[in-house]
This record gives sequence, C-alpha cells and structure tokens, in this order.
Amino acid sequence: MSQNKTASQNKPASPLLLGATALGALGVIGSYAAAGHERFWANWILWFVLLFTLGLGALFIVALEHLVSARWSVPVRRIPERLATLLIPAIPVGLIGLLALPVLYPGTRPEAAHHPILAGKAFWLSIPFFSVRTLVAFALCLLGLALLVGGSLKQDATKNPAFNIRARKFAPAFMAIFALVITLIAFDWISGLTPEWYSDIFGVYVFAGAFLSGLAATALSVLYLQDQGRLEGVKGDHLYNLGAFLFAFTVFWSYIGFAQYMLMWYANLPDEVIYYKVRLAGSWRAITIALASLHFVIPFFALVTRDAKKDPKRLRRVAYLMLGAHVLDMYWLIFPVLGVTPHFSWPEISFALFFIGGIVLWVRGAMQRGEDMPVGDPFLREGLEFRL
Amino acid sequence: MSETTLKPQASYAVLGLFDTPDALMQAIPKARAAQLGAVEAYTPYPIHGIDEALGHRKSPLGGMVLVMGVLGALTAFGFQYWISAVDYPIITGGKAANSWEAFIPIMFEVTVLFSTFTAGLGMLLLLNKLPFFGHPVLSSKAITGITRDRYALAIEAESDSFNAEAAAQALKDAGAAAVEALPAPDRSPFLTSDYILRTLGGIFVACVVAGLAIFFAIKWFPLMRPMVNMQDQPRLNAQKASAFFKDGHGMQQPVAGTVARGHLPTATGTQDASASLINPLPRTPEVFAVGKKAYHNRCEVCHGALGNGMGSLTSAYGGKPANLQSQQFRDYPDGKIYWAIVNGKNSMPSHAPYLSESERWSVVHYVRALQRAQNAKDEDLKVAP
Repeated sequence: MSQNKTASQNKPASPLLLGATALGALGVIGSYAAAGHERFWANWILWFVLLFTLGLGALFIVALEHLVSARWSVPVRRIPERLATLLIPAIPVGLIGLLALPVLYPGTRPEAAHHPILAGKAFWLSIPFFSVRTLVAFALCLLGLALLVGGSLKQDATKNPAFNIRARKFAPAFMAIFALVITLIAFDWISGLTPEWYSDIFGVYVFAGAFLSGLAATALSVLYLQDQGRLEGVKGDHLYNLGAFLFAFTVFWSYIGFAQYMLMWYANLPDEVIYYKVRLAGSWRAITIALASLHFVIPFFALVTRDAKKDPKRLRRVAYLMLGAHVLDMYWLIFPVLGVTPHFSWPEISFALFFIGGIVLWVRGAMQRGEDMPVGDPFLREGLEFRL
Repeated sequence: MSETTLKPQASYAVLGLFDTPDALMQAIPKARAAQLGAVEAYTPYPIHGIDEALGHRKSPLGGMVLVMGVLGALTAFGFQYWISAVDYPIITGGKAANSWEAFIPIMFEVTVLFSTFTAGLGMLLLLNKLPFFGHPVLSSKAITGITRDRYALAIEAESDSFNAEAAAQALKDAGAAAVEALPAPDRSPFLTSDYILRTLGGIFVACVVAGLAIFFAIKWFPLMRPMVNMQDQPRLNAQKASAFFKDGHGMQQPVAGTVARGHLPTATGTQDASASLINPLPRTPEVFAVGKKAYHNRCEVCHGALGNGMGSLTSAYGGKPANLQSQQFRDYPDGKIYWAIVNGKNSMPSHAPYLSESERWSVVHYVRALQRAQNAKDEDLKVAP
C-alpha cells in the first residue's frame, strides 16, 4: 500500500491544472474590477457555500460512522476525513465573504430598520451578530475536525483503541453541532440574501445537498485511489454502500425540496411564493427543470438497479453528476438575487476554474498525507471483511 | 396428514448439519462440486454471500417492484386526474383542476404501496410459492437446530437416480457434524375443509373478541378526543344562540343603511309609482336567454309558455292568472310588470327572493318579446340591415 503511494506521491500536479487555477485567479481579480461588486460577491458566496458544504458533508460522513459504529466504512473513512479538511480553506474564504454583507444582504442595510418585516429581525441580521454566528460555526467545525480527523490521524501511530471510544462519545454531540452549523450557514448565508422569505426546512434542504456532495466526492476519491492501486481490499460491496447512500439521498433531497415547494405553492402567500415565482420565470424556469432532472431523476434511474450501485464506471459518472448538480443547486439558490436573467459568463467560469482547481489541488495534497486507511483502527479488519 | 406420507419411501434429500456459518460456507463449494443434486442451505438468519456461493441466479423481484412502482405512480396520477380534472372539477384554493403538485403526495404513497405489496407478496407467493407446509425440512429432526443455532446444507434429488448414500458421504467429507435423510415433500393440498373451517372459526372468534373489547372500552372508559381545536372553534350558527352579540342571537339583521353586493333594494311604493321605472338592461341575446330561463322556471307554470295565462296550474287549480297577451298588459309600462314580479299581485306571490335584480328586468324584456311574437307585424319579418 505505502509503496504504491510513494510512486504517485512524487508526481507533481499537472501544469494544465496549475495553469487553469492561475487563469481562474486572474479572472476572479478581473471580475472584481470589471463585472460589478454584486456579481463578484454572489460568485464568492456561491463558492464559499460549495466549499463549506463539501467539507462539512464529508465530516458528517465521518461522524455518522462513529455515531452508529459502522464497520463497513472503516476502510474508506480516511477519504471523507481528508475531504473534511476542506473546511480549513473554507474559513478564510468565509471571512473574506463577510465583506459581502453590506453589498448583497438587505438585512444589514440601514433601511432594513424601517422595513415592516425586517425591522423585527434587524438585530439577528445585523453585521456584528451575523459575523459572530459565522465565527462560532467555524470554531465548532474546527473542534469537530480536531477531535474526529486529528484523533484518527494520531491513531495510525499509536494504534490506541481509546480514540474509537472517544469518537463514539463525541459523535452524538457533533450531530447537534452539525445541525446547528449547517442551519446557520443555510439561513444566514443563503436564505439571508432574501430575508423577507422564510422556510423552516431550508437547513435540512441544504444538509441534503451537503451530504450528497460529500458522498459523491468520497465515491470519486475512492475510485481515483483504486485506479492508482491504492485502497487495497476495498471491494464492490463498499462501493455498493456508497452508491446506495447516493441513491437514497437523491430521493431525500427531492423529498425535502418538493415538500418545501408544495406547501408554499398550496398556501400561496405572497411573501413565500415570490421565491418560486422568481425561479419559475424566464430562463430560471429551464434551470429549475434542469435541477430537478440532474439532481433527482437522472441519478435515481441511473442507480436504481443493484448492479449499478457497485459498477465503478457508472458510480463515477453519477458522482460527477451529483457534484455538478450540487453546484447548480447552490447557483439556483443564490444567483436569482442578481436579477431575472441568470448570469453566466467569464466571471462565473473564472470562479469555477479557480475554486475547482484549488479544491483539486488541496484534495490531491490531502490524499498524500498519512495512510490511505485508518491502519490503527481496531475495526479495520472487520471493515475489510464486509460483505453485502 | 395421513400416516403413509410421513414414512420415508425413497430418500428425497440428505441434510448435513454444521455448527458455524463459516463451516457451512466452506462446505458449499465442496457439496456443489460433488454434483449429486441441487444444493440448498437452511439457516436461522441470512448469511452474507450465501446467494453467490449457492449459485442462485439474480432475483427478478427488483424488476417486478420497479414496474409495479411506476404503475402505482401512473395509477395514482390517473385516478386523481380523472377525479379532479375530468369527472368532478372543483376549484380548491384557487388552484387549477389539474394541478400535478397536489397529486404528488398520493402518487408517492401509492408508489410505495404497490412496491411493498409487490415485494412482499411477490417474494412469498409468486417466487417462493409459500405457504408450503409439506416441506421435508419442517418435519426433520434437525429443524429445532436450524431455527436456533445450526446451519444446514441439503443435497436434494433432481432426478429419480438420487444416490442418498453418496450424498451423505459428500456432506460428511465437506465437514458436516451430522447427516439426516429426508422423505419426499408432501405436496397434498393443505386447504382441506377442516383447515378452512378452523380458519373461519378463528376469524369469527377474533372478531367477537375485538368487537366486545371495543364495545366495553367505549362503555367503560371516557371518550378522549386527542385534538379538539378544529371541533371546538368559536363560530356562529344560524338559528342558534350566540354570546357574541348583545341580543344573544347568532343570526343578525344587516347593518342599517347597507346593501349587500349584488342585492339592490326591491321596489317599494305603489305599482302606479313604479310605472316610470326604465328597464336598465339592453336587449341582447344574452339578456333574452336569461329572461327566458327565469320565465320558464318561475312564471310559465301559471302564465303559460306563450304568456297567455294558460299555464299547467290553471286547469289543475282553477286559478285565473293574468293573460299577459291581453291589451291591458300589452299597454303596461315595464315598471309595472317589474313591480308585480317584486311584490306580487292578487294571488301571485312575490318572486323577489328567487330572482336577482337583473333576472327580474330580463324577464320583463322576455315578456315584451312574447307579446311582440304573438302580435307580429309584417315588417318584423325583415332582417335588420
């Protein structure tokens, strides 16, 4: 295992990837100067949310394993642990994103104090309290990262099973932390763009997307490492479980998304339906239909059979599709604040190049650190013996 | 079950018992390699990987469930579409009759219903052909172990040339702790009249017990309503007392000096005073159609279809309704006819409660049309330019 690793370790990142990321960075800087501040910050928030939900979704997979004492996922646990480190770059991105508050968030503007609806929420939406909540969310994420991921890395050397006991005790608390953090990020950063609009279930909706993106990235990384001859012992049965999770949560995402839509559609209250009115008019209508197809219909039928869930080729395609659908989902949530026509041009492409390139570079680096499997975990053998 | 079927004639299968699932899994390839008959396993719980080891083909159940699930979704959509949009369209909450959003929850439920029924019943009845009480393993000595902590592997006869001794030896070689020969399965029908009678008797007793239990539960225990907010909301009922108003009545007079929308005050005063009223409606085909319908429903029974006072009630009761074709009524101004409709005249009652303001004036137009039709002039035949 470690011999194979050193072989691929020395391979430098391809110049194409570095060049694309650098080009994206230039475009990002250029778009601040040329494309207008609102558009720049909308892009920035989109990629902050994507980065954060991807990392948090991966951390949720790790915590879920400890919470329910899952054994099958022990051999692949190092993958979501590595992906969860994306929360570290997400923090500076989020801190810079706080500069977007006066530009994009109506609740932070002085006229909000005289708005009939926003006046009552003024304290909650104000810049100081918004920033404090975000900082608390970041601190809680770092705590989860240190205890679950850091502890696991240390276990490689110590082989001390005390980590498993500690992680199992911490996991229920982390679930509460996770629910709080994802709800705060969803309500503050996404729903806060339209503060007159309100939905109880919005945090759960964003959670469904975050978990799916974490799962898809995990499946992709597992397949990538398997192609390199690493992760020896991870079988089709493990892939099947990842595929089954992906399959189940496409249904969960659409269930939550449709439940939110149907209740608002039925009640037909002006404050609520405006959210969908905007997204069902003009070009946004096509994007809404594309979102429903890409996020639910296509992956559902692609993964419905038993063999499809363990077919590496199909799983890889669906995982790419789910990551793309998650980007589209967040774009669909954030970008309508810019106007009735969807913005997609060189600033969006530059941001995508820069952030995707950055994420790939970060994950590449993370994949070289430590062992590919939690070799100190006493349950690793049981996990490798897992059969359906 | 008769005595003769229990007796093992020729051995049908040989059962080998194993102490651990691992021993069973290791014995399966050896037993299959012997090629003495079909290899089947009997275990107290599902064992991972046993399907592949036994070489079972993929179950068709998944495909059946998918087809029935899609069928369930389409059925639910079809039912709701037919009810809501075709057979009995009612506008609810301002939504279109055919609103797919409203159909989705029931489509989801029916999809789940069809899928689970197909999975459960298809597995039990169609694919496993259960119930099958005559299975030889059920009457074997090993059955108590198989349902508890023993793992059995059977080599079952596929043809008449089944070699029970060789099969027993093969199972012992594969590591079986004990072997047992089994008789042929008893395929005699289990739905005997005795069985059916006992089943019906059981259902009858269960119904009586449940009925008595519910009867006494309601009789002896207070009725508890879990959520009464919808039932006990404050409301006003016509003809009922109400503490909301000072006079204690639920039904109230309209506020003085107000007119409900669409309910203009009816004409008062004498018929002569109403003579100067002018029909506010234009003479359009729509107005005549409304007037014709209202006349047909309210006036025709006495005044007759032609307005000549020869209605069907006239002969039955000997009444003398006005002949609207007479010169007196042809000379009547519109307002006087309108006054009679609103207030009634002689034995004719008021029709104000049944005809809206516009219907009354439409009837006046229609009566004028009837009079003109019965006294047509030559120039009426000319088509208007």
